[in-house]
Amino acid sequence: MIIDINFIGLIIASIMASAVPLILASCGELITERSGVLNLGVEGMMIIGAISGFALMTVTGSLIIAIFGAMLAGVLISTIFAFLTQTLITNHVATGLALTIFGIGISAMIGKNFVGIPGKEFPVLFENLKDTIPLIGPILFGHSIVFYFAFALPFMTNYFLKKTKIGLIVRAVGDSPVSASNQGIKVRLVRYLCILYGGAMSGLAGAYLSMIYTPQWIENMTGGRGWIALALVVFSTWNPIKILIGAMIFGGLTIIQFHMQAIGVRIPVQFLTALPYIVTIIVLVVISRDSRKIRLSTPSSLGKSFHKDN
Amino acid sequence: MNTNLKISNVTKIYPGCVANDNVSLEFNSGKIYALLGENGAGKSTLVKILSGVIIPDEGEIYLNKNNLKLNSPLDAKKNDIGMVFQHFNLFETLSVFENLIIDSDEQRESLREKIDLIMKKYNFSIDLDIPVLNLSAGQKQKVEIIRCLIRNPKVLIMDEPTSVLTEQETSELFLSLKKFSEEGILIIYITHKLKEVMQLCDEVAVMRRGKLVSVSEIKNENIESLANKMVGQNLKTIKKKKAKTSSDQLIKITNLNFTSEDPFETNLMDINFSVNRGECLGIAGISGNGQSELFQVLSGEIISEKNSIEFNNSYIGNLNPQERREYLMAFSPEDRLEQAAIPQMKIFENVALNNFKSSNFFNNGLINENKIKEHSKKIISDFNVNTDNIELKSQFLSGGNLQKLIIGRELITSPDLLICFNPTWGLDVGAINYIHETLIKINEQNKSIILISTDTDELLKLSDKISVIHKGKLSKIMNAEEVTSEKLGILMGGAN
Repeated sequence: MIIDINFIGLIIASIMASAVPLILASCGELITERSGVLNLGVEGMMIIGAISGFALMTVTGSLIIAIFGAMLAGVLISTIFAFLTQTLITNHVATGLALTIFGIGISAMIGKNFVGIPGKEFPVLFENLKDTIPLIGPILFGHSIVFYFAFALPFMTNYFLKKTKIGLIVRAVGDSPVSASNQGIKVRLVRYLCILYGGAMSGLAGAYLSMIYTPQWIENMTGGRGWIALALVVFSTWNPIKILIGAMIFGGLTIIQFHMQAIGVRIPVQFLTALPYIVTIIVLVVISRDSRKIRLSTPSSLGKSFHKDN
Repeated sequence: MNTNLKISNVTKIYPGCVANDNVSLEFNSGKIYALLGENGAGKSTLVKILSGVIIPDEGEIYLNKNNLKLNSPLDAKKNDIGMVFQHFNLFETLSVFENLIIDSDEQRESLREKIDLIMKKYNFSIDLDIPVLNLSAGQKQKVEIIRCLIRNPKVLIMDEPTSVLTEQETSELFLSLKKFSEEGILIIYITHKLKEVMQLCDEVAVMRRGKLVSVSEIKNENIESLANKMVGQNLKTIKKKKAKTSSDQLIKITNLNFTSEDPFETNLMDINFSVNRGECLGIAGISGNGQSELFQVLSGEIISEKNSIEFNNSYIGNLNPQERREYLMAFSPEDRLEQAAIPQMKIFENVALNNFKSSNFFNNGLINENKIKEHSKKIISDFNVNTDNIELKSQFLSGGNLQKLIIGRELITSPDLLICFNPTWGLDVGAINYIHETLIKINEQNKSIILISTDTDELLKLSDKISVIHKGKLSKIMNAEEVTSEKLGILMGGAN
């Protein structure tokens, strides 16, 4: 059997494509968590992004409005979370869970009218270069702008956190909000912005699913990806580069197990479907074993409410 | 250039407590000022007002005749007021340099140069690129000080800076502070330690219950006069009556060893001693020489060989703390909020934790709340704990009150032996006196005490016999009358 080398390239590209929403949502949530806020509403924000993007695309016909609209929808719903946890000092975990349940419910309600409507084709970049280089061509070229953005995002996030002043402030707030406040940093403002940013990225991740990856609206179409994104953040020990690795493994196993099912490998389907979840977490745990590094990169104030006591 | 800082009629009221009652003070550069007071006297509130963390209800602050409006820590920084907090305001997981650059507007390179200059000038040596959590308490404090110095402050406020320092680090700090003062920085030093005030400062302001009691020059004061001003009454000097020497042996430790796997712990080597009824055995030493391990071995947190500890004619080396309590031992660990009490739990719940068999605190697995509460109230009144609310969470008790509560709880069983580890650590004079009196009373009732302490004065005051621990080994046991603090100092340093 001759395997077409470009076919392997296509498989790798499809793995990367399935990793995109995870990378986007995880990198957003990573910034939120680095500021000390635990937002368990990623799944909810993603699905809101998905329906908003799809609905705006159908109604306005403009892809740009749809993409930015989805991000804005993510921002708006995360504003609820920010207001509750930062201004009214509610519990992060409970509020985040409520956000997810709310998101799934309201997206299903809005989505009623959009079931079965075909999506639009999303423009891809460098399509003409796709066949110029074997193997590499299909991997590098012919993808949407969101795809390229997603693969640049972990590196940009890393640079932002390590090299910029604002990144330092975000980490400082996550480490000790009391010290930060005493240093004159506006803790609440920083946390608000980080939450809204996380919302925008989750919204974009959702829009990618409903507009680019599988251009249609299906109820509950995020299918737990928000939860995987959350798990990636924790098991990568808040390291954006490891998020990229984790998302690729998860995406890879998801795609490969589809192919295995198609070929008819004699392994129970349930096991194959569960495989990506288990393996991703095992791998991330193994590559993040260094307890000193964990201590250094875990935001010490994660999930704890902060209110000025004077 | 002279700096003049003036606090005028500052008042800050919290619900149920006037933290600062119309306080007016004036400071001039070139001198080191002490702000002295017991815990809760309002000194921390006052300096937090100066550093913009707390906004006063009334009153003005003037720096060189300019009226300052300090609404946030940023305002204080902008007006060249630097503050080193008692609980460090550092970001543990960030590197030293990141901690310093975060509130600076300078470029990385120029800031690094500046920091290097400061470190050279004051003989600090700190690796700028390691995370703060790897630093010792003394080094962390230096980072805080550098953070202030970067901004060329006119005023530097130090809030109880020595509470976490070793003696070596304390004297280093004092040298630096004197240097800063010579360079024209106005220094305000907050403390409740009288010795330090006498050693370091030029002028002293004493606060009590939110009010300014006195301002005077150090040369007109001595330790007694300051203590009396601070507490507001003449302190009794406590003197222990010489105990009748009893030969009735209560506890005997034979060939006790402990080898730790943790490289930061000290191994105990061949510990032998005995304590008679009615006696207090003091164990002196510089902290970190095995005191904590010895305490844990004696209390049963670390279990040793059965025969190594003989108590009341039974071998108990292999029993845990709960079981040892049944034999009428009691324990007061060093760290009140971590080891002795659970901060988030209420007072009466913490009392119930010392759950011995005869207490009737629990019936068939159910909590007998009335019984516990009744008992807690008794402890609070017998041991002079300054609250009447047994529902209060323990973390809101001051150190002194918490220590009284713990000692009271431990004495429920009227134990034959009380083992204390630094019982007066971090307490103010009034509370220290109270604890000392209580310990003396225990001896008078023919009960015994093992007092592990790093405070030599305390040991000389309370002990009948004294031994010194150095690198996990005990010196020979001496009669307290034969010992002087100099002699202890030499033994603590490791000489024979």
